[in-house]
Amino acid sequence: MTARARGTDGSLLASLPWTLSALMIAIAPHVPFLPFWITGAFLGCAAWRYMIEKRRRTLPSRWLRAALALFCFLGVLFTYSSISGVGPGSALLAIMAALKLLETRKRRDQFVLLFLSIFLVMSSLLREQYLWSLPYMIISMLVIMTAWLRMSAGESQSARQSFATGGRLLMYAAPLAIVMWVFFPRIATPFWAVPIDTSQATSGLSDTMSPGDISSLSMSNEVAFRVSFDGAIPEPHQRYWRGLVLTQFNGRTWTGRDPSISPGALDEIEVTGEPIDYEVTLEPTRQQWVFALDMPTQWSLSQTFMGPHQQLARSVPIEQRVVYTVRSHTNYRISAELSNLFRDWYSSLPEGSNPRTSELARRMRDVAGSDRAFVEAVLQKLNRENYYYTLEPPPLGSNPVDRFLFDTKRGFCEHYASAFSVMMRSVGIPSRIVLGYQGGEVNPMGGHLIVRQSDAHAWTEIWLDGLGWYRIDPTAAVAPERIDVGASDAAFESFGRAWGLTAPSRLLHQARLAWDAIDAKWNEWVLGYGPDAQNSFMEWLGMDDPTWRKMMLTLILLVVGLVMLISAVLMLRYRPPPKDKAALLYQRFVNRSGLAPQIGETAGVFALRVADKGRLPASAVDEITQAYLDARYGQNDEAAFERLKTAVSSMV
Amino acid sequence: MSSIQWPFPDLRAQISSVKARAGDRVQSWARKRQGSDPVTTRLRSSRVYILPTGVGMIFGFMAFAMLLGSMNYNNNMSFVLTFVLVGIGFVSMHQCQRNLVGLELTFAGADPVFAGQAIRFRIAVTNQSKSARYGIRLHATGTSSDIHDLAPGESKVFILPVPTTRRGRITLDRFGVRTMFPFELFRSWAWLHMDISGLVFPAPADDAPQPPPTMVAHGHRQHDARGEEDFAGLRKYHEGDSPHHVAWKAYARSGQLLSKQFAGADTSSQWFDFGAIETNDVEERLSVLTRWIVDADRTLEDYGLRVPGAEFKPAHGELHRRNCLETLALFEGGRS
Repeated sequence: MTARARGTDGSLLASLPWTLSALMIAIAPHVPFLPFWITGAFLGCAAWRYMIEKRRRTLPSRWLRAALALFCFLGVLFTYSSISGVGPGSALLAIMAALKLLETRKRRDQFVLLFLSIFLVMSSLLREQYLWSLPYMIISMLVIMTAWLRMSAGESQSARQSFATGGRLLMYAAPLAIVMWVFFPRIATPFWAVPIDTSQATSGLSDTMSPGDISSLSMSNEVAFRVSFDGAIPEPHQRYWRGLVLTQFNGRTWTGRDPSISPGALDEIEVTGEPIDYEVTLEPTRQQWVFALDMPTQWSLSQTFMGPHQQLARSVPIEQRVVYTVRSHTNYRISAELSNLFRDWYSSLPEGSNPRTSELARRMRDVAGSDRAFVEAVLQKLNRENYYYTLEPPPLGSNPVDRFLFDTKRGFCEHYASAFSVMMRSVGIPSRIVLGYQGGEVNPMGGHLIVRQSDAHAWTEIWLDGLGWYRIDPTAAVAPERIDVGASDAAFESFGRAWGLTAPSRLLHQARLAWDAIDAKWNEWVLGYGPDAQNSFMEWLGMDDPTWRKMMLTLILLVVGLVMLISAVLMLRYRPPPKDKAALLYQRFVNRSGLAPQIGETAGVFALRVADKGRLPASAVDEITQAYLDARYGQNDEAAFERLKTAVSSMV
Repeated sequence: MSSIQWPFPDLRAQISSVKARAGDRVQSWARKRQGSDPVTTRLRSSRVYILPTGVGMIFGFMAFAMLLGSMNYNNNMSFVLTFVLVGIGFVSMHQCQRNLVGLELTFAGADPVFAGQAIRFRIAVTNQSKSARYGIRLHATGTSSDIHDLAPGESKVFILPVPTTRRGRITLDRFGVRTMFPFELFRSWAWLHMDISGLVFPAPADDAPQPPPTMVAHGHRQHDARGEEDFAGLRKYHEGDSPHHVAWKAYARSGQLLSKQFAGADTSSQWFDFGAIETNDVEERLSVLTRWIVDADRTLEDYGLRVPGAEFKPAHGELHRRNCLETLALFEGGRS
């Protein structure tokens, strides 16, 4: 390849800045997830390419480009150790865009870059969907389309015209897109397994619990899920959102079992009272646990089963926001008969760990006389003695339960749940720990409940003869306000106090609630528009028994109708001007001349023929013809029209 | 080790020949359907055809892949993106067709050329609508014009250069107008069959023999009462012309020595005779005559032309030259 062929002539200067902007907007949402060197490589290549074009330099040689490509590909492979999935996929797209820039010589090469931008926008939407995803998408499409027009339209179109044209075409396309979006049948099951993106940390609850290891609980205000109730919102002390159950304790750490199906688990639940029906919009957790109000009996989420310990789990991790309806009963009993084997298993403790706690428990059991009295006594102890609820407890070393109960006496839900369970197990009462969320904030604007990560909670269930598994929340004994007010409200109060600004932070909080209400509706109506929502929307529209065939047929009919409408709008836009007054005046002149203009004969040629025939004075013919041409095609058509009028009327 | 041979060596040629034949078939069908067009033709929508381009096909595949991806991830925002792209596809199809419909095309002539030069057919394209038209291009077999945009109400002359090889009247049986605006996803085009022709003069011979010698005719001196002769024009200065007759003003203007000619004065003139050229090849003779005429015209000599069936008395000027060259271009005598 010669240097000549690699040279640039500045012909891309009209379109390249737009193409680069399109690429940058497309890459922007990926930047927090991309390794630093990929962003750097892209920006470097973009700046390099722009300078090459501006200074009419030559593009880098093929060998340099090949070396760079190999280097970058290995870099991606090394960083991600995989090339499938959204993370490595978008990294590869960014790298491809950067390298393609370096070999973009002709205008049409930019097509590839624009296609890459579209894919990058798409993959950012696959990664996460927010309220701002739609405006972001519209802006990026506008820039991409403008760049596209800059590349393909003729020489005289200004950037502003391209932008206006792009916007106009996008406006025409919008109703089509909306109709297709609403009516395109959604399917519940994926075609192929969605690759799990391991590059992202899981948010939400961890699968294990080690009170004392972490010395402070993060107070993340991130939304875990939102709930809309069909009826009244249950009282705060009833809002226990059951997640996973931990059953084994090694002296430091509680662990549970992997999600599994237990066909009998549902049958063990006996309910009384009115059911509570509600809809949960769960943010992606990348875990399998499905949260529901204690205790769920029916749920709509696909591939979701109840496992042992009545924990709901899905067979695939929740990678996308999901919406599901649940029916729960807050008055329930789990009337399981426990075999001796299970009784032992649920009350097993490691040998020799936390000896002081075991000793204390045995003593208290002897004093109490019965299991129920013993439970009461332990709760009384936690309530009466100097135990404090704090989110920043001191670390606890070895035998953490001993140290917590006897020395530090400071902790949050995990400490109390763990200590209580250990005491129960010490006297042979089966117990287990439930992790989930407790409480949640009511958003008066959206009428829904917001459950945040800071509402994460741990409580216990113990098995008593004749009662079955029974929920006990030891934290409630220590800090009843944690249960009645909720963690986030408590946090908000302290936040306001810390800044000494009660009123502004109150306003801020109101604004945040308003935003949350919009976000919740958006999630529910738009992002969560799945097969169920679509079916009910179709029924609301009046479609009986919606099937994909009916939806597809409606979609096609509507699209055809809309396309015809758009075609009509375009026809109006491009229609030739109607025969104007000038033409009517000219027609009078034609009639008087006694001749008929031939097809394709211009006004000038016709004038020559008329003048030749001599029926009308040549000066009048010239005057009328000139005025007519000026009036129809000239700049100053008003004045010319007046001239035409006088000339035609004086012709008689 | 033997290299693997592509099993269909002629495939490419075969495909292109099939394509060409199919193209001819389609075009003759279009011609039959549309008939001949007047010199000014407004494009109706029924004659504007449209097909996706290669980029358009790729765009379609991309949209399909994105649809599958959206369905698989059940991701509503990428559904939106996909459907916006599909919508843009539909819209750009109609926009592309409308970009041509209603355009007015007028044949605006072609200046004659010598064989071997490209004749430049001028076709005026008028946009009478209130919206601009972008990326319009004319094309004919083996040639195309530049791409132009047309503002509302604007008329532009497109030039369609067509190479010529032989003298005579060259006709442009068919030409097309096309556009790929917007986005180059679709190409829409229309064929026009106007009565378009241009004149091709014979190519001037490169190694023509010397023209026949100049004859000096002695005219009658017709002195009028003032003793002046009638001024008849200017011609190039020849040695021996009287300095009185030199047009000094013209010399000052142009730097060229010219002599005033007077009616009845002595004139030098040449007769270019078809029969006097020493070759039997008609085309060669026409070529030589063309060369002589071009040279004589350049030096402002008078010349006459004599070909079988036509004769032009010695004269000069644009009209004379044009008449002579046209006669040579359309000369039929030698053709079998």
